Amino acid sequence: MTAPLLEIDRLSIAFATRRGDIPAVADFSLSVAAGEAVGLVGESGCGKSTVALGIMRDLGRAGRISGGTIRFRGRDLATLSGSELRRIRGNDIAMVYQEPMASLNPALRIGRQLMEVPRLHRGASRAEARELAREMVADVGLPDPDRILDAYPHQLSGGQQQRIVIAMALMSRPALLILDEPTTALDVTVEAAIVDLVKGLGRKYGTALLFISHNLGLVLEVCDRICVMYSGEAVEQGPVRHVFDRMRHPYTQALFRSIPLPGADKTTRPLETIPGSFLMPQDRPRGCNFGPRCTHFEPGLCDTAEIAMRPVPGASDHEARCLRFEKIDWQSRPPVPKAAAPGEVGAPVLTVSGLRKYYEVSSGGLFGHRRRKLVRANETLSFEARQSETLAIVGESGCGKSTLAKVLLGLETATAGQVLLDDREVQETPIQKRGPRAVADLQMVFQNPFDTLNPSKRVGGQILRALEVFGVGATRRARRERMFELLDLVRLPRDFADRMPHQLSGGQKQRVGIARAFAGGARIVVADEPVSALDVSVQAAVADLLMDIQRTRRTTLIFISHDLSIVRYLADRVMVMYLGHAVEIGSTAQVFAPPYHPYTEALLSAVPVPDTRVEKTRIVLEGDVPSAIDPPPGCPFQTRCHWKDRVPNGRCARELPPMVELGSGHRILCHLSAEALGEMEPVFRVAAE
Amino acid sequence: MERLSWTGALGPWLVPALEAALVALALAALAHPLALLAGYRLGPGPEAARSGPGRAARLTGGLLRLSLWALAAALAAFLIGGLLVPPEAKGILGRIATRLWPVWLSLGASFALVALFRRRLGLLGHLLGNPAGAVGLALVMFWVFAALFADQIAPFDPITDVIAGMKNKPPGTPLPAPEGTYGYYLLGGDALARDVFSRAVAGARVVLAIAPAATLFAFMVGITLGLPAGYLGGRLDLLLSFLANLVLAFPVILLFFLLVTPEIVAMGVPTYMAGALFLFPLIFLTILWNSRFRTRPPLRAALIGATLVLGGWLYAGLAWNADPFGVVSMPAGVLIVFVSVVFVNAPSVFRIVRGLTLDIRTRDYVAAAQTRGEGPWYIMLWEILPNARGPLLVDFCLRIGYTTILLGTLGFFGLGLAPESPDWGTSINAGRGLLQFVPFPPLVPAVAIMSLVLGMNLLADGLREESLRE
Repeated sequence: MTAPLLEIDRLSIAFATRRGDIPAVADFSLSVAAGEAVGLVGESGCGKSTVALGIMRDLGRAGRISGGTIRFRGRDLATLSGSELRRIRGNDIAMVYQEPMASLNPALRIGRQLMEVPRLHRGASRAEARELAREMVADVGLPDPDRILDAYPHQLSGGQQQRIVIAMALMSRPALLILDEPTTALDVTVEAAIVDLVKGLGRKYGTALLFISHNLGLVLEVCDRICVMYSGEAVEQGPVRHVFDRMRHPYTQALFRSIPLPGADKTTRPLETIPGSFLMPQDRPRGCNFGPRCTHFEPGLCDTAEIAMRPVPGASDHEARCLRFEKIDWQSRPPVPKAAAPGEVGAPVLTVSGLRKYYEVSSGGLFGHRRRKLVRANETLSFEARQSETLAIVGESGCGKSTLAKVLLGLETATAGQVLLDDREVQETPIQKRGPRAVADLQMVFQNPFDTLNPSKRVGGQILRALEVFGVGATRRARRERMFELLDLVRLPRDFADRMPHQLSGGQKQRVGIARAFAGGARIVVADEPVSALDVSVQAAVADLLMDIQRTRRTTLIFISHDLSIVRYLADRVMVMYLGHAVEIGSTAQVFAPPYHPYTEALLSAVPVPDTRVEKTRIVLEGDVPSAIDPPPGCPFQTRCHWKDRVPNGRCARELPPMVELGSGHRILCHLSAEALGEMEPVFRVAAE
Repeated sequence: MERLSWTGALGPWLVPALEAALVALALAALAHPLALLAGYRLGPGPEAARSGPGRAARLTGGLLRLSLWALAAALAAFLIGGLLVPPEAKGILGRIATRLWPVWLSLGASFALVALFRRRLGLLGHLLGNPAGAVGLALVMFWVFAALFADQIAPFDPITDVIAGMKNKPPGTPLPAPEGTYGYYLLGGDALARDVFSRAVAGARVVLAIAPAATLFAFMVGITLGLPAGYLGGRLDLLLSFLANLVLAFPVILLFFLLVTPEIVAMGVPTYMAGALFLFPLIFLTILWNSRFRTRPPLRAALIGATLVLGGWLYAGLAWNADPFGVVSMPAGVLIVFVSVVFVNAPSVFRIVRGLTLDIRTRDYVAAAQTRGEGPWYIMLWEILPNARGPLLVDFCLRIGYTTILLGTLGFFGLGLAPESPDWGTSINAGRGLLQFVPFPPLVPAVAIMSLVLGMNLLADGLREESLRE
């Protein structure tokens, strides 16, 4: 084999702060061969993006490479001058960032931004550059390249924007493409298409990929090799399948055990959370960085000296930063803690029938007659949620799940239909008129942990305010006592009451948000993507906390999510939404097994599963979700459906399908005949071992 | 007695030192860019680029820093030396420094206190670590203390002490017959034979009494209207934004001329405007307490009652000059200036608050407050406003500076304040006629305005940088 394209050798990166240098990356070695795809995974703060910025030598004023070398095609990048570096950046090494809109200049047409690359790096003429840009736009799978080239970034959807960013990165045919969480901001079905695209183009142009992600499933799909980072160090690296099947670092294993793989179950096989919390770089211990959280920690061995990467037998380039991996029994699992028995599912507490919510948006000029347009956010939704049950609402962005939450909570009133809370109609009662009891009964947990708490008020004060508003406790002292009990409930230390939100980690903030929601003894909690913004190891802990509270308080949990893995893990029943319609509803087992609604099938197949034993049928949906202002006629999903030709006479494009009952509460919104549905095969197959 | 020199006995040593520092600074400032450029041009290949500026540039850079420090040291030596030498050896600068001793003392004490409790003071503590912020804070505090101790600092009464024979005299002129009074006009006399130094110090009191208070009132008005415009939106927003734009589009100076026109004053327009504008702080506080403590009625009643009684009393006195006890009142001229400044500033504040509200109302914690059934005013005042404080604080500092200039402009046009008022704008206006021959009467207040506004702007810069760093 020839010399690798990119060779990072014992790299250290430090950031200068007021309190001295903080080592962000230490002793990091990695090599990427030409045409190879390498995945870099780890939780936020582990230094994976810093490595990427270090390769681009874009560390800002505070950051500097404090040790080691980065060689690209044999040349040390640190010795290059500014102009040589500029030639390499964008030409030989290109980078794609997480937020597509932030990478595109909103004031320039797409065409100009793409043409800039060959004109700058190769001195191509305008016509040549435009031709190249057109080819590239077609290559990234966008229809009608000429229209796209003349569009402004905001006229494209998120998925299309990210395709353009990838096209721009590939315009100069780079030898190395760095992708920093390229799909995190996108929906799952769009993500699947982008991942396919990146894989295909990488092969077509022989581009090496450095794929940075926190999603192990994606890495398994895209990459040949993987490098797991923890706290600024690479802790394990090797061929993807080898690492997934025979992981030899306790952190890698803990990471895998904290994500809901098929087979995990909230009562019999709950997720394992990593004890302790992530340490700030300046607090790193001596010896193994993972030592304080490791179940295999051995004092006197793991905490004496810095630990180097050691080769793992069985594969040529599999190595792990663990001194004890030969002695650890990798198959054993800690005993399952005795979980409280799942609460008996009780009577319906929330019944929704025929709910519709339309918004009116007006367009048109100041003097021209205004055209009123309807946004059909929710179309005839009917479902019920029972006591002590978890109902998951699944769908991609724009499917109307957040609008549904708003209507349920009374922040919006319904356009038509009925919402019964116990046996009171509330669809037309805005929250101010519901009375404190009803408001306290139905509460919400929000998605973004950095946004859910008011940054300028103390944690305790925010919970106290909720208690005051809900009329809990007669005196200040009683409320304070109650606030401490709520902190106990979400397993936070009591002295957190006096902290400001910015002193808390994401998971801790989310716990405070949960405590606040349960302040008035909520009986129904709507959780809008409560864990999707958290790191995987924290996700497990917060999800388990919600389940525990549910078991002890018999709470009804309405769990809104786009993440089907976590939904399968903790939901009792699932409702799948698309463009405002409920397209499928049933128990978790029913929804996750055939017959599926075609959309559910595509959604399931789009979810990356980090398990080498699972075989998946690939169904990649074309295009994007249509707009709710101008929904397609007939079935909402007909524009992207794979099964459409199985329905005679093009009925899908003309008539809205009926809600078909498939037995024991499993209903789908589809024209497909019973035999067509019967032919569906499971999306997942677990290979026999 | 002889006229004082600027530097007194220190002159022979310090003036050459100062000149040397200035020359060195000028030379270094010229040489440094050249050396930098030369380093770039001559550097062959990547190694030179990596090694940073060349040796010559490093040398000139060092010289630049050194000469700056030398200059600062020389200036400090003038002040400290002037303070320390015996009275007969003091020059003008030394005597001014001596007169200002209460300011130095309080400045030193307050900075020492802040430095001592740095860790616990949050933003204020961080400000000391920021050069721009620290200098700004020092300048602003200098004028605040000068205004506070004006009676101790000013050797003469700024209005009534008219001493024969001191008309248009240059700085350091001794009094013809000092009978138990201070012996010199330190910064000369103005056209009415009053002490320029005393007037400048007394002017600080007028300016610092009006500018921050007027800015605060403008903020009350802007916040009380901007929050609902941004949060509730719709027709209310449309109407309020239109009105704000209308006021902003009206030429400011014309507005002032209109407001002080005798006919308009006679019609009572400024009083009615004051009646409307001064209501806003009352409304603001009442809503503030009502929304926060609606779950605790006794506390709410106490707070609102106190606000209404105290505020109503102040309101009656300030706006309508109808204080039943005859304690609170505002001179008619000051009222006009106050009203004009509030009226002109409130729409800009309104727009800033509205914009911030539009951003913050989409946050999850606002939604969380909505889902617990909080009213709109609670959300606006207790969830949104505290999180808009950073930009508002910066704008507050900038706006005080702007208001100071506005006051100067008003005074310069002879609007509002009485002609004998020692405020800086009026003094500049009075002195501008003889500017060529007698420069000090207008120059001193001009420098005063400049330094205060500069201080406010630096403070705002420091606050902005430090709050971004949090």
